[in-house]
Amino acid sequence: MGLKINALLKSPWVFHLSTGSCNNCDIEVLDCLTPRFDIERFGMLLAGSIRHADVLLVTGSCNRQSSIRLKEIYKQAPKPCLVVAIGECALSRGMFIHSYNCPVPLDKIIPVDVYIPGCPPKPEAIIAGVVKLIEKVKADKK
Amino acid sequence: MNGNDLLNGIRDKFKDDITNVFEKSETRVYIDITAESIVRFANYLFRDAGARFNIASGTDARDHMEILYHFIVEEINLLISLRVKLDKSKLEIQSLANLFEGANWIEREMNEMLGITFHGHPDMRRLLLSDDWPEGVYPLRCDYKEWDPNAIRDRGV
Amino acid sequence: MIIAYTVIFGFFATAFMGLVASWIDRKVTARVQYRVGPPLHQPLTDIIKLLGKETMIPQGASPVLFLAMPVIGLASVVLASTVVWVNAISLDISLIGDLVVAVYLLTIPSVSIMLGGFVSGNPLASLGASREMKLILSYELPFILALAVPIIKSGYTINLSAIAAYQAQNGIFAGSPSGFIALLVGIICMQAKLGLVPFDVAEAETEIVGGPLIEYSGPGLAMYKLMKNMLLFTLPVFLMIVFLGGVNLKGWGILSTIGKFVLLVALVTVIRNTNPRLRVDQAVRFFWGPVTVLAVIAVILALKGF
Repeated sequence: MGLKINALLKSPWVFHLSTGSCNNCDIEVLDCLTPRFDIERFGMLLAGSIRHADVLLVTGSCNRQSSIRLKEIYKQAPKPCLVVAIGECALSRGMFIHSYNCPVPLDKIIPVDVYIPGCPPKPEAIIAGVVKLIEKVKADKK
Repeated sequence: MNGNDLLNGIRDKFKDDITNVFEKSETRVYIDITAESIVRFANYLFRDAGARFNIASGTDARDHMEILYHFIVEEINLLISLRVKLDKSKLEIQSLANLFEGANWIEREMNEMLGITFHGHPDMRRLLLSDDWPEGVYPLRCDYKEWDPNAIRDRGV
Repeated sequence: MIIAYTVIFGFFATAFMGLVASWIDRKVTARVQYRVGPPLHQPLTDIIKLLGKETMIPQGASPVLFLAMPVIGLASVVLASTVVWVNAISLDISLIGDLVVAVYLLTIPSVSIMLGGFVSGNPLASLGASREMKLILSYELPFILALAVPIIKSGYTINLSAIAAYQAQNGIFAGSPSGFIALLVGIICMQAKLGLVPFDVAEAETEIVGGPLIEYSGPGLAMYKLMKNMLLFTLPVFLMIVFLGGVNLKGWGILSTIGKFVLLVALVTVIRNTNPRLRVDQAVRFFWGPVTVLAVIAVILALKGF
C-alpha cells in the first residue's frame, strides 16, 4: 500500500458541512471532537478550510439550494478526499423523502464512501464508522 | 384595559365586518373577519388597543384558503387571531407590509408557497424557494404534484 | 562546506528537532486537557500526507507568487537555523552570521505568511493577512529592544558565539535583573512570532476559517507547517544562546541544555493552554504598552550596569 494512502489514513483532517440539517447530527459530530472521545489520538484534526481537508463529513438532507454549494465545495477539496454521510437525512433523506425541496439523495450528487446511520448517531457510532472507512480504504488499495 | 373591554370595543367598532368570535380560552380569541377590513383592523389593534403584530400563517383548507393574523396584547396576556377566508378563485388581499415591517417576509413566503397575491407589498420576491423553481407551482397547496422528472422518491429497496 | 552544513544542520536536524518539539507541544496540550494525545510520529505523518495531495491555485491569485511564498518562508528558516546551529556548537568555519542577521532572517517567516495571504485573492485571507501585519508591526519593537540587553551587557558585541562565551565566564544573563526582564519580554514576543494563543488572531480558526493560509493545499501547506514546526525549535535555541548561556554539549552540559530547551517549549505550551485569544487591537495595545515599557526598563537597567 502506497505511502500516500498510508499517510492519509494516519492523519485525516475532517471538514464538517451541514446541508440543511436539524443540527442534531452536527451536535453529535461536535461531541466527537471533545476530550471525552478524543479523536486526536487517531491524528484527526478539525480543518478550518476545505482546502486543508481529507475527509468531508456531510449531515443533513441536501435541498435544492445547498446542492449547488455542496458541489462547489466538493470541487474545491483537494483529491484524494473521502466523503462520509452522517445521519438518516444524509443517507436517503429519511423522513423528508417526499419533500418538495429534496429531490435526490446525497449519493447522487457527490460520491459517498461511508454511510453512518442513526438519528442522530452516537459519537461511538461515528467513530466506528470512521474506523470502517479506514479499513475499507486499506482493503481497496491492496 | 382588560380582555373583555378590548373585545367589546372591537365588537362595537367593527359591527358588520366581524362574522364570528370564538373565545377558546381566557388568553386566546379567534375573530373571523372579511378580507376588505384587514387594514382597518390592523390599524385599530396596533394604535388604539395596544397590540403588536406577531406573525401570520396561511393554510390551504380544501375548499378555501385561510390566513390567520396573530396579534398579542402583552399587558393582559391575550393573543387575538384574525381569520380571513379567501375564495380559491380570488386569492387577493391588501398587504400589511407598509404598516408592520414584520409582515414583509411572511407575506413573501405566503405568496410563493400558497400563491396568495398581496396588493401594495413593496418588495415581492422569492424568499425561501430556490432560483430554478418554476413559476406558478405552489408547494404547500393541497393539489401540488411532483413536477421534477429527475426526482427520486423511492428508497431503492 | 557551508552548503553541507546548511543542508545537514539547517534543514534536517532542525526539521527533526522541530517535529519533536511540536509533538511535545501537542502531547502536553492533550494531557492538560485530560485526554490522550497523538502518537510520536504524528507531526511527520501530517507533513507527508500534505505532500501527497494535489496543489490547487485559486483563480484570483498570481501563480508565481502564490507558490513562491512558502518556499521563501522555509528558506529563511533554514538559513536562520544554520546561523543558530553554527554558533551554538561553535563550528570552526567563517560564517558571516551574527545576531542582526539572525533577527532579520527570523522576521521573514511571518512576512511570508502575510504575503501569502494577500496574494491568495480571497477576502478572508486578506483579512487574516492584515491582522498578521498589525501583529508584526507591534511585536518586533519590544523584541529588538529586548535583544539589545545582551549586546550591551556582553561588551557591545553582536557575535553570537562571543555572547555565549561571555555568559560561560560571567554567569548567564537571565540571572541579572535586566536580563531576566528581557528574557520575559523575549518569551512573550516568541509566543507571538510562533502564532500561538493568546496572539494567534491571524489564524483564528473559528473566526476567519484558517486566516492567510485558507487557499493553500498540498505541498504549499506542507511547507508552511514545516516552517512553523522548525520555528518552534529555532526560536527557543536562539533565546537560549542569547539569555541562558548557550548550548553546552560536553559531559553533563547536555542535560542542562535539554532541560532548558524543554523548559522553554513547556512554557510556550502552558501559556498556550491557559489563556484566551486576544483581539487584534488588544494585542497591539498590549505590545506597544506594557511590553515595550518593560523592554525599555530592561535596556536602561542594562546601561546602568545591573
